[in-house]
Amino acid sequence: MNTIIETKDLKKYFQIGKNRIVHATDGLSVTIGENEIVGLVGESGSGKSTFGKAVVGLHDKTSGEVWYKGELTPAHFTPSDYKKYSTEMQMIFQDPYSSLNPRMTVLEIIGEGLYLQGGFTHADIKEKVADWLRRVGLQPDHMSRYCHEFSGGQRQRIGIARALVLNPKFVVCDEPISALDVSVQAQVVNLLGEFRDTLGISLLFIAHDLSMVRYVSDRIIVMYLGALVEIGKADDVFFHPLHPYTRLLIASNPEADPEYERKHPHVPIKGEIPSPINVPPGCRFAGRCPDVMEHCHRVTPEVIKKSDSQGVACLLYA
Amino acid sequence: MTEHALYNPQAGDFEGVTVTSDIQQLTRPSLSYWQDAWVRLKKNNRAMASLCIVVALILFTLIGPLLWRVDPSVQDLDQISQFITFSKTAVITESQTVWEGITLDSFPAEPEEEPEELLASAKVEVVGSPTTQGVRLKWAPVVGAAGYVIYRNEKAPDPDDLGIPVGETDAGNIVGYEDRLKLEARTYHYSIVATDGMDEADAHATLGVPVAQGITLEEAQSRGLGSHVGETITLEAHPLGTDYLGRDMLARLMYGARISMFIGIVAPILFVIFGTIYGGFAGFLGGQIDRYLMAFSDFVVALPFLLFMILFKISFGIGPGESGVVPMLLALVLLSWPGTSRLVRGQVMQQRGEGYIQAAQLLGAKSGYLIIRHMIPNTMGVILVSLTFAVPTCIFTEAFLSFIGMGVAPPTPSWGSMCNEGIKTMLSHPHELIFPAVLISATVLAFNLLGDGLRDALDPRMRSRE
Amino acid sequence: MKKTNNSNVLEVKDLNVDFSTYGGTVKAVRGVSYNVRKGKTLGVVGESGCGKSVTVQAILQLIPMPPGRITSGSAKLNGKEMIGLSPKDINTIRGREIGVIFQDPMSSLNPTMKIGKQIAETVKVHQHASNDEAMQKAIALLEKTKIPEAAKRAQQYPFEFSGGMLQRASIAMSLACDPTLLVADEPTTALDVTIQSQTLEIMHALQQNMGMSIILITHDLGVIAKMAHDVAVMYAGQVIEAGPVDDIFYRSSHPYTLGLRHAMPTNIEGADRKLMPIDGSPPDLFKPPAGCGYYARCPYAMRVCEKHNPEEFTISGKHFARCWLQHSSAPKVEGELFQIGHTENA
Repeated sequence: MNTIIETKDLKKYFQIGKNRIVHATDGLSVTIGENEIVGLVGESGSGKSTFGKAVVGLHDKTSGEVWYKGELTPAHFTPSDYKKYSTEMQMIFQDPYSSLNPRMTVLEIIGEGLYLQGGFTHADIKEKVADWLRRVGLQPDHMSRYCHEFSGGQRQRIGIARALVLNPKFVVCDEPISALDVSVQAQVVNLLGEFRDTLGISLLFIAHDLSMVRYVSDRIIVMYLGALVEIGKADDVFFHPLHPYTRLLIASNPEADPEYERKHPHVPIKGEIPSPINVPPGCRFAGRCPDVMEHCHRVTPEVIKKSDSQGVACLLYA
Repeated sequence: MTEHALYNPQAGDFEGVTVTSDIQQLTRPSLSYWQDAWVRLKKNNRAMASLCIVVALILFTLIGPLLWRVDPSVQDLDQISQFITFSKTAVITESQTVWEGITLDSFPAEPEEEPEELLASAKVEVVGSPTTQGVRLKWAPVVGAAGYVIYRNEKAPDPDDLGIPVGETDAGNIVGYEDRLKLEARTYHYSIVATDGMDEADAHATLGVPVAQGITLEEAQSRGLGSHVGETITLEAHPLGTDYLGRDMLARLMYGARISMFIGIVAPILFVIFGTIYGGFAGFLGGQIDRYLMAFSDFVVALPFLLFMILFKISFGIGPGESGVVPMLLALVLLSWPGTSRLVRGQVMQQRGEGYIQAAQLLGAKSGYLIIRHMIPNTMGVILVSLTFAVPTCIFTEAFLSFIGMGVAPPTPSWGSMCNEGIKTMLSHPHELIFPAVLISATVLAFNLLGDGLRDALDPRMRSRE
Repeated sequence: MKKTNNSNVLEVKDLNVDFSTYGGTVKAVRGVSYNVRKGKTLGVVGESGCGKSVTVQAILQLIPMPPGRITSGSAKLNGKEMIGLSPKDINTIRGREIGVIFQDPMSSLNPTMKIGKQIAETVKVHQHASNDEAMQKAIALLEKTKIPEAAKRAQQYPFEFSGGMLQRASIAMSLACDPTLLVADEPTTALDVTIQSQTLEIMHALQQNMGMSIILITHDLGVIAKMAHDVAVMYAGQVIEAGPVDDIFYRSSHPYTLGLRHAMPTNIEGADRKLMPIDGSPPDLFKPPAGCGYYARCPYAMRVCEKHNPEEFTISGKHFARCWLQHSSAPKVEGELFQIGHTENA
């Protein structure tokens, strides 16, 4: 499979005070192939959103590289860089309520990309927007309406149409379903899967709902406090997790099955997620790991390849 | 839902039905941001009432002077401090001349012998026609009088209260007097009391005199109202009365409104525009530039307003007592913009992190496009509200400055300076203070309530959300 | 009909709540009835707008009335009627017999007061304890909710706590007076999944130790499966299915319940079922439909469903569903895990 995105030791730090640095993304090296959906899970402070934005250029890269189809993307994006990559990489945002400008009609929102590209007449734009509205399951005569008249799920579809109208090959979906009801989440997830099949796009699907991520992704990346802890095929990561954190995450995920829940009593979890400011050396999970060893506090684990597609950053496997 | 009798379904009811789900049907009409805000504003009764007052005020200022064509600077010293008057008739009199009075030769000036008791005058009469220009009286002499005191009473004749003494004559044979003291067109009761030089008599003679409104020939001719003595003309009405110089209050208020509204609208527009640009820049650029810009803004906030007003006045070469509209405007604009700039900066900074800005960036939008197409429209609500609240502040500041003599100086009318003048006659003729004060209060209140209503109507959080 | 040995802590019957808004009247709750058993957890599950939160907020008088209004119905706490109580009476019940925790713990905590002091205050007000006694109790409660170094934490302010800790402190505060019932309105929705697991475990342990009943309101079926003994599924202001948790999950008898379950992925290795979303959106409660609220989205809709709201049909024991398919004359519908079309005591 061809690689469409490759990150090499991508780091994004935020300076929030004299000596306080947030290691939001701390050296991630992943590849995403064409026509592939890669899921990215992690809890708050894991840096998954930051990673997604850094890949697509919305955050300046502190260090490291992002390669798109064999070409190095700039560390800092100027507006003309954005314009150049707008037909290649796009993003679907998390909050359907704040990611659409309340003063613009649906036509203006979805058509903005075409307008900024230039070379389209107003009639062209209207036609394309109508087409996309149909494709995401809305009606073309909705284009003259304003967003506040739509439900969360419908707004998210508008967001999807906006991202896809320029036919990008890679789309980062930043928690696209977190703000939606369960029955509506399925609509959006199915839509994304459909587009992957019909349009051949690649997706980076960022979410914290493990079950959904497993359902829709080909591979899963697990992040903890800015570092990659595990990567592998979706079913492998979910059913045969290697990293203690991944095991913990999956065990904590409640199943919609009372019998199952009764058979699997509570898994004890130590402590809280530590602060991502000034992360100490050693394994980040050492403070809470049930299988912690003495040298975990000193040595930072590297990603060890267990097989062709599986990798885990844990000293248990060193 | 279960209070009605439970339905018992029949056989045919269980037929399957395919429902074409009207999922994406939107029934309510589509409203843009401004339409939605207008609908909400209309429901707010206080705000709509305030809007009506504001519109009425603007009409008063712009169209008023066209309909009520009275020169606000014309003084009519015959009609000072009048309360609401309607048109009244006046008689043209001769020009002012001094009346020589009436001196009787046949009567002794000094009494020869002390009388036991001074009696009342036998007869009191009016000479000529009594007008507000002057009332001439003559009376029959009293034996033993060394002079006479003339009392005037506005109320009904009362033996215990003769009214105020308006004059006296020095000798017993001077039996004529012209009263010119603040005459108004009403009935006065004059009482003549004889005096022997030291005491006044108990007895008196009273005459009721209806005084007509009079106007001198020169005055009438200069105002183009008439041309000969004896002619009856009509004087203009003064719907809101006159001030202490006889100038029409309504005309002055209209003229003053122009000054107040000019400052109250031009100043806010100027400083809100400037503040928006300044704050927008600071918020959008962020970082060091933002810090320096805001530090300067804070510095401006700390500057004392009155001091700067005076400084500007002096540097413009305007002495005390002269009108300084421009310095006032300048001071207002230069010292009020930081508030708006902070507000807009906050909004812009908040929007920078919003999803739709980032999405637009990703689609290739440049900074200018982002600001104009995305940020400013979403800040318009805040700017508009800020503007609506700035207007009453400026109007009140102007009124206050004019009131203390630092702004518009007489004779240029402004509501504040009219209040200043009205203070002097506050106790005797309160209307000179009340009318401009009420207008200031009503204007400021109306704009404030309107601003409140606008803010509620434009608040995006109060919109209907699914 | 007198019930002896009534083991229900809360009995809600036929509750109707309206809201007057500037667009008209919204019928947010339309004839809701459910019971909470002593020492057990009732899970109320539904999506946004179904009325699950409004129901309990109305009973506890936490909604301003106006614009809210309870138009009819009853809610009996240990046999005592709660609807229509004066604000003073409700105040003695809230906090003493009923504890409440919300999705955002900051809604029940004062950011300017130390945590220990806030909890002690609740104890003092309801139990007339002295300052020292109250503080001792507060620390004990913090320990009960497994907050480490409870004595030290009691002297801290809310902003020094993390999200999960805050929720635990909020639980501690609601337990201050040994309530018989704990109302938890989306308590873990804003928490990470590992913290959620910890928090739910604490609630479960507290229930075991104190015999406390819980109403757990959530939209997450997984949380329901984990915590609830009984379940009430709400849709468009009504309870459309209720019963013991196993019945709801393994013998779902309402198309909406089934639809919800099918809209979630099953985590069975090797056997992947396609996610089946439910088309459309819930009805507008400005003009609630005369018939079944789910009619427009139901794949099994029948003619009777359009104009007539189904009553609660008993399926077995305490399991019922508000669906015409449960009527004795209704056709049988087969589908995996969906045995309906017959009622045991029709």
